[in-house]
Amino acid sequence: MTDTRPANPLEMIAYVLAQQIEDGEVVYIGTGLPMVAGTLAKKTHAPNITLVFESGAQNPLMGDMPWSVGGPNTWKKSPMILEMSYSFGQLYNGYVDKAFLGYAQIDSYGNVNTHMIGGDFHNYKNRLTGSGGNNDLSSLSRNLILVGLQSPQKFVKKLDFMTSVGWLEGGNSRHEAGLVGSGPKAVITSAGVYDFEPGTKKMRIQTLHPGVSPELAQLATGFELVRPAGEIPVTPVPPRDIIEILRKDVDPRGVFTSMPS
Amino acid sequence: MGKFNYNKEVLANLRIDEKDTPLLDRLIDYDSALLAHEKKSHAAVDKRLSIKEAIAEYVKDGDILTDTGFSYVRTPIAAYLEIMRQGIKGLQMIGSPATNQSYMINYGTVSHSHWSYCGAEMRGTDRNMSRNVKEGRTKLLSEWSHGTMALGFKAAQIGVPGMYSKQLLGSDMVKYNPFIKVVDNPMKAEKDPCVFIPALYPDVTIIHVHQADKFGNAKIYGPLINDAAIAGAARKVIITAEEIVPPSALRNDNKGVVIPFVYVDAVVEMPYGALFGAMPGLYYWPRRMWEKTLRYWAYKEGALDEFYNLLLNDCKDQFDIIDKLLGGSKWMVNAKRLTKAEEGDNEDDGVDFHYKEWTMNDPDFNDVTDQYKQI
Repeated sequence: MTDTRPANPLEMIAYVLAQQIEDGEVVYIGTGLPMVAGTLAKKTHAPNITLVFESGAQNPLMGDMPWSVGGPNTWKKSPMILEMSYSFGQLYNGYVDKAFLGYAQIDSYGNVNTHMIGGDFHNYKNRLTGSGGNNDLSSLSRNLILVGLQSPQKFVKKLDFMTSVGWLEGGNSRHEAGLVGSGPKAVITSAGVYDFEPGTKKMRIQTLHPGVSPELAQLATGFELVRPAGEIPVTPVPPRDIIEILRKDVDPRGVFTSMPS
Repeated sequence: MGKFNYNKEVLANLRIDEKDTPLLDRLIDYDSALLAHEKKSHAAVDKRLSIKEAIAEYVKDGDILTDTGFSYVRTPIAAYLEIMRQGIKGLQMIGSPATNQSYMINYGTVSHSHWSYCGAEMRGTDRNMSRNVKEGRTKLLSEWSHGTMALGFKAAQIGVPGMYSKQLLGSDMVKYNPFIKVVDNPMKAEKDPCVFIPALYPDVTIIHVHQADKFGNAKIYGPLINDAAIAGAARKVIITAEEIVPPSALRNDNKGVVIPFVYVDAVVEMPYGALFGAMPGLYYWPRRMWEKTLRYWAYKEGALDEFYNLLLNDCKDQFDIIDKLLGGSKWMVNAKRLTKAEEGDNEDDGVDFHYKEWTMNDPDFNDVTDQYKQI
């Protein structure tokens, strides 16, 4: 039987993320949706990309979804496997073209928290994983794309902890803090695609997914989104054949692209 | 006056009293690391010990221990369990990631934490660790990113006082890491902020490897993470090896030999020493075991006692883990087949990765064998 279900929100994110990748690029990948997107891009429009992982794993043959950044699918038959400090060095030295990063909280300048939710450093509601490679990617990447679900709990006015600096306080503040890279380029969520307004560096609606109005996107956001003048384009949805590749070849067990029940 | 200039604001933020800063010193104390490195025998001698002897000799209360490997990939977990069995207390734990400190804290094995990542990737946040920090069972001493901690170990390995980096700038971690300083790049005409990361010298590290000779030359397959750097940095180095091979074997096939013998204090033959984690090329990770660990033992308050009883009392070593928990020889055969399939090293078309995920309502609550019944 033909699977005619439209893309679910996670599949939509994976597709839009994959579209950011151009053939021939080196892409820095974490597990989860970035891995799905990287694999999808490689199996469709960008067969000649190289995936890099923080453990030092590089350039695997494509296999199943990895269960860890150190797991075999991140270094399956790799011609060379490096170590952690080198993998971040590749970013600083200009050998990575795109990097994808997740968040627990994100603010209007693309700054990210993966440390803790609620309260303060010593008396929080929940402590999360900490930085891992999050800060390194945010500090060093040339083309950083942030990816995750969108809700007022995640899109917040003020982060509970600033793990990673995006555009800091807007304007020239990222550069003045001494950071290299070029700051976050885009945020891809379950509701739409956002970029950052030149100058102010505040998050701006670029496209919205089908059925999402600017009002709805704003409702899912704890800060004021910048709305460009004129009509906001609808994010293109994945064509039938791409959804099929995604479901059959990329994440057949739905490890990262099936909606939690 | 202490030996090092810690930022007072950072100490206050972390609630570290100034009189307690000696607690921080050893991690960046080159002089004592140098002395330790000079003092150990530099001769190629037989360093083989049992794991019990190696831990008793080289891991002391209050030491700074590194978590090596990558959470549950090539991590010497079986040796950590032996540290716990021997009742060693008050360790400081550091590592990128340092996932395994979580269950060691509740047992009193670890009491101080340097943090860059603790959790289980897509299997989620570690609720036990979250409680441990909040309730003061472990004291947080520093916040790092993976990349900056890696640079600290790398600086120690290559023999420099520290590194300048462009990471961490502007982030809140700068306010919660007493070891790093924001300084200007002295070569730039314009103002150019960098963070200075000192060389990091843990007291003791255990590194699980595929092969070692009796002198301690050691070979690793798969991602190195930070382990070659840590081996050069640590004051005391224990190698646990899946296999001890003759020195000539490493001379004849030296690809992948990443740890030179001179760093090494003890060599332990320890097949399946990464259990209950995975070992590249040799065994796949026990999935239900980890799921139960994260979803029940380390999640539900009080359930860890059951975990300790199983892994420290019922199981005396990694062989007991295989026989009593994972399913014995069937598990061994399947774990080898699965990892080889995932690595592209056998004919993987017919290899079945299916298993039943462990859940809280699991009808086979006590069964962590990955339920493989096809052999």
